[in-house]
Amino acid sequence: MTGGRTAGSARRGRPELYTSYEADSALLNTRPKRVAVLLIVALAVIVPFLLTDNVLLILATAFVASIGAIGLNLVTGYAGQVSLGHAFFLGLGAFTGAVLSGDPDGRTVGLGMQLLVWLPAAGLVAAAAGLLVAPFAVRLRGLYLAIVTLGLVFLGEHLFREMQFITGGVGVGRPGPVPELFGFRFDQAGEVLGVMLTRNQKMYYLMFVLLLIMAVAGRNIARSAIGRAFAAVRDRDIAAEVIGVPLTKYKALAFTISSFYAGIAGALLYTVIGVIEPGSFNLLMSVQYIAMVLIGGVATISGSIMGAVFITLLPRITREVPKFLPFISGGATGGGILNVFQLEAILYGLLIIGFLIFEPRGLYGIWIRTRNYWKGWPFSY
Amino acid sequence: MTTTLQPPAPPATKSVPGRIRDRASRAGDRVALREKDFGIWQDITWGQYWDTIVTVGHGLLALGVKVGDRVAIQSENRPEWLITDMATVAVRAVTMGLYPTNPVAEVRYLLENSDSTILLAEDQEQVDKALAVVDQLPRLEKIIYIEPRGVRRRYTDPRLLYWDDFLDLGRQHRSAADGAVERCMAEATPDDIVALIYTSGTTGPPKGAMLSAANVEFAIRTLVEEGGFTDPPPTDTDVTLSYLPLSHVAERIFTTWFNASAGQLVHFAESIETVPQNLKEVQPTIFFGVPRIWEKIHATVEIRVASATRLKRWNYRFWMRVASRIGEKMVANGGRHTASTRLLSAIGNVFLFRALKDRIGLRKCRYAASGAAPIAPEVLKWFMGIGVPMHEVYGMTENTAVATANRPGSIKLGTVGEPYPTIELRIDDDTGEILTRHPGVFPGYWQNDEATRKTIDADGWLHTGDVGEWVDGTHVKITDRLKDIIITAGGKNISPSEIENSLKTSPFVKEAIVIGDRRPYLVALIGIELDTVGDWATRRRIPFTTYRDLSNKPEVVKLVQGVVEDTNTKFASVETIKKFRMLPKELDHEDGELTATQKVKRAAMAEMFGDLVEEMYRSRS
Repeated sequence: MTGGRTAGSARRGRPELYTSYEADSALLNTRPKRVAVLLIVALAVIVPFLLTDNVLLILATAFVASIGAIGLNLVTGYAGQVSLGHAFFLGLGAFTGAVLSGDPDGRTVGLGMQLLVWLPAAGLVAAAAGLLVAPFAVRLRGLYLAIVTLGLVFLGEHLFREMQFITGGVGVGRPGPVPELFGFRFDQAGEVLGVMLTRNQKMYYLMFVLLLIMAVAGRNIARSAIGRAFAAVRDRDIAAEVIGVPLTKYKALAFTISSFYAGIAGALLYTVIGVIEPGSFNLLMSVQYIAMVLIGGVATISGSIMGAVFITLLPRITREVPKFLPFISGGATGGGILNVFQLEAILYGLLIIGFLIFEPRGLYGIWIRTRNYWKGWPFSY
Repeated sequence: MTTTLQPPAPPATKSVPGRIRDRASRAGDRVALREKDFGIWQDITWGQYWDTIVTVGHGLLALGVKVGDRVAIQSENRPEWLITDMATVAVRAVTMGLYPTNPVAEVRYLLENSDSTILLAEDQEQVDKALAVVDQLPRLEKIIYIEPRGVRRRYTDPRLLYWDDFLDLGRQHRSAADGAVERCMAEATPDDIVALIYTSGTTGPPKGAMLSAANVEFAIRTLVEEGGFTDPPPTDTDVTLSYLPLSHVAERIFTTWFNASAGQLVHFAESIETVPQNLKEVQPTIFFGVPRIWEKIHATVEIRVASATRLKRWNYRFWMRVASRIGEKMVANGGRHTASTRLLSAIGNVFLFRALKDRIGLRKCRYAASGAAPIAPEVLKWFMGIGVPMHEVYGMTENTAVATANRPGSIKLGTVGEPYPTIELRIDDDTGEILTRHPGVFPGYWQNDEATRKTIDADGWLHTGDVGEWVDGTHVKITDRLKDIIITAGGKNISPSEIENSLKTSPFVKEAIVIGDRRPYLVALIGIELDTVGDWATRRRIPFTTYRDLSNKPEVVKLVQGVVEDTNTKFASVETIKKFRMLPKELDHEDGELTATQKVKRAAMAEMFGDLVEEMYRSRS
């Protein structure tokens, strides 16, 4: 018996009074959440007119990295399957996108298709590879699984290096996928709805919209039956199986979905950067993504985004360091005790260690703690 | 040419079911009631509400209920309670409510005394109670149960009837004899007895107070439509939470009658344990509580603050000092804001009050009332200080709860307010007893003419049994129940409830019973509040096992000693408590120490803990 009307003020200001399951399970179930999300989106929309083009490029990269981090978080954070092979799936997506969209008359293989084709395809090819790897995950767990996925990275590195007709070869590479949608080019400056936009502004918007779609999808996967099954598998796989969660199915699903996200992210990453270097899909890239997940917050979607943005902005910040600390050099050959690239690697390490010890729930945990402090006001819980 | 004078049409007698019918035809798709089911508040519209009432009315007719028959209900608050109540009244039968906590012996007494023919029992628990005594109740014909779990297809007693089957029976009768319920309603007279409400019986077996349709109409007119409580009167934008037993007249007013006459939206609490949670969700605009509820909310806030961080504790203490100043100023100003308290409240709202009220579920509360038992003024002041508009009201079943109320804007703390303008109320010169006379005075006790004669005198004055006095000529202050007044061996008249309530202001004290009738001095039995004292002990690392163990810890006795000494400073020396003992157990309805409304049965106490009392008067410490 639902659906009756109520008089004006009897309806408002009772955020915890749910009269339907739709309202109860809504993603944005309270007004503060709706307002906050609206403000963040509004801010993101006006940002391109406030910041310089090269900062926008970093932000666009951060958005793409966020998609990748969400993917890794789904398999590692939610489903608890440690994966060091994320770089491999990113690479698969990148090359699939590049092959499908590339110039048919170019030096490397290209089919000249548009975004609507190559983007899903990049995801699907990576997902298929993920499905192939999944049987290992069903049989292994923990450290053993980490080693197997680590092997995947080296396998991938070798393949990418050798298949020069696709990848262009080490040190040369090939152009990234072309973001073209029904003749509209995101990678060229142009007028949109009467407003003149630069390449980076267009890229920023494209990546922002795609991140929004992927993040909402990710959140819904995580809070639906699939996500709950993932969490059950993570917390104790034997117990999950006992209560009727098919282990094989959900472990395979976790890898497939995660790889799909990685494929999409890989293709988009090189759309932003422009050139794919086959040697870049190495262990360091996998570690970077793990750092995003750990620093952002394990098993959270918004944490993945926070972590990805943080890690992507890190080089930009470290580049400022030599101005204040003269013993750190700005370039690879600048003398001094350290250079910025070494500093960056050290910082990754320190941040991961620091977060694991002091704030295991990551940046998201810091936010949750702050929020709960005020939410509990004037009590503590 | 002759003109025939038409006799004036008799004024349409309004009735509670009639009001629901009117609302159903005017705004059938508006929400009347909400009940929480699987975590979601399910709407029941006026149309559905009225339709079910008619079906149940037909069901009662099909079961052979005749005019004046008693239909008993033993259930927690839920839509079926109201539906059955209204259907019973519609077919001119009498609703008799039992408390869900009534133990078997009381169930037997109440059903036997009232000669009930139908019993609506909520679930297996209540069905079991009825079945235990059903063989001694030849008049009881049907036991209708709402929750089938454990009963349906397990119990074979032919008198059992499942609610859904009962509704089917009603529907069949409705299709065969449509309009029968409406015809019954049309024949109803103002003298019809609509409710049989049993008094709590602190001194003897409960007596059934009969309320007539005219009594109820007068109460609705005075309390609801003329805004006897709230100002402005309740409307359909008001929201309430129904959680106190509906077998008590107060909850009947705030749930059934407010809802039918003003259309305010009633939410049924899931159970008494979930009231804090439900309050927070529902955020009622009108909230009635018995003193125990207000004391409990107050104590809960204190516990939760005690475990908060240092900054939050400091913030709470600072703003509560401000709140107590606001409370004092408002009390001095009749409950109205002054410019300075308004400013302080506005600032305090940002830092504490609004968040605090939100957490306890009273942020939207525009009218809060305490009644049914005396309450310590400090508790009322505490709520006024944080911005909950608190009003103490007074009334009893026998006068349909129409007596006095603190009206918004003219509150006097420590009094129960002013008599309503439409009633007569006086205080007997000799005994100091409060007497009322108005159309809400009940016709009498059920089959107990002797008690009726003792209560209503020849002039129609109702003797309330409460001793009171006038304050400033306008407000009434209640000293105590006439029977409870203590006369010490020295000949001093002392009101124990004032001292008891002062003791109960402490969050650590749940029960306090002051004793001293014909004794040289006053002593007290004190029961601790397990939650707060347990929390206090845990924070001080005092290990304890049971209630009894905790009660007798020297640290706890010392804590209570402090409370007693604090209270003693507020009273004259003859009224101070010289000795006290801790109650070894939590008082309980089941064990016969409390009434269903959680009032202490003094006689039972003297019997059960007589040795403790005697020991206090014998010993030297």
